[in-house]
Amino acid sequence: MSPREETGERLSEKRFRAVGWLMQRITGLGLVLFLGLHFLLQHLPNGFLATAEEYNRMLQQGEVLMQQESQSPKGAWAPKEALPGEHVITYSKVVERLQSPLWKVIDISLLLLALSHGMQGLSKVLGDYVARVRLRRTLVALGWIAAALLAWEGIRVILAAGMNIG
Amino acid sequence: MLHKRERPGSPSFRTFLSTVFSYRKNAGMAAWMLHRLTGLALVLYLVMHIIGLRSLTDPVLFEIYVTTFRSPLFKIAEVMLLGSIAFHGFNGLRIAIQDAFYRSENQRRMFYGVLAFTAAVVIVGGLVILYPYFIKPLLP
Repeated sequence: MSPREETGERLSEKRFRAVGWLMQRITGLGLVLFLGLHFLLQHLPNGFLATAEEYNRMLQQGEVLMQQESQSPKGAWAPKEALPGEHVITYSKVVERLQSPLWKVIDISLLLLALSHGMQGLSKVLGDYVARVRLRRTLVALGWIAAALLAWEGIRVILAAGMNIG
Repeated sequence: MLHKRERPGSPSFRTFLSTVFSYRKNAGMAAWMLHRLTGLALVLYLVMHIIGLRSLTDPVLFEIYVTTFRSPLFKIAEVMLLGSIAFHGFNGLRIAIQDAFYRSENQRRMFYGVLAFTAAVVIVGGLVILYPYFIKPLLP
């Protein structure tokens, strides 16, 4: 059987899938490092987050924008005091970190690695459950378009962070 | 495997379920299934995460966004997120190592290793994440 008869794929498509397989390994390894670092920094206690004392002091001094409560587009919203021992992600801490170009590069890399790895994996899953070729190709194409839009939005937000300060 | 009643290639939920329940039940299949489920969950989370973080352009919106996730329920979800990341990462490393050396005779033992590493990460990270919400209030 020729390669085409087996799966209805052209050789170029098979080669493309082999590249995808290799890329999945590379982006996966990158994610183990970058996402591990990301979770450590943003979800577990460390200097990139505000401590409960710092956060509650910010609340008292109105630095967490309590005075703008009425301007909140989502209507009534009240800030929540930090529990003892809690670490809180704050706007100022994130923006402070993202003022460094190195952190911008790291976060954009993480974003692109995660999106490409996730979309590549999703197209594999679609390949397993959607047998109709044209529908599958449409879904995969839509997925990559969505991934590109999310990458655009993410990069825009990361680049803008910290630019309006100082 | 598709059932006869169903149109081949129809991506119905029933086709999906009948496929899922036709799988054998062993360690290798559990690894594959968990890898797939955690992968799908992480893609879903990633999309919500990126859309949510668009609020970083506005201090007030960002504050509201972050405060939403500071509740006991979301803290438990955060530990589940950590578990998904840890499992998917460790299992992915196992797959990459096996592929690279063309060997699979140790795969079951390596899978149990993956589960052990995941459990360790979830216990340590989970205790740290849940401490202010569930553990500190219980302490005298």
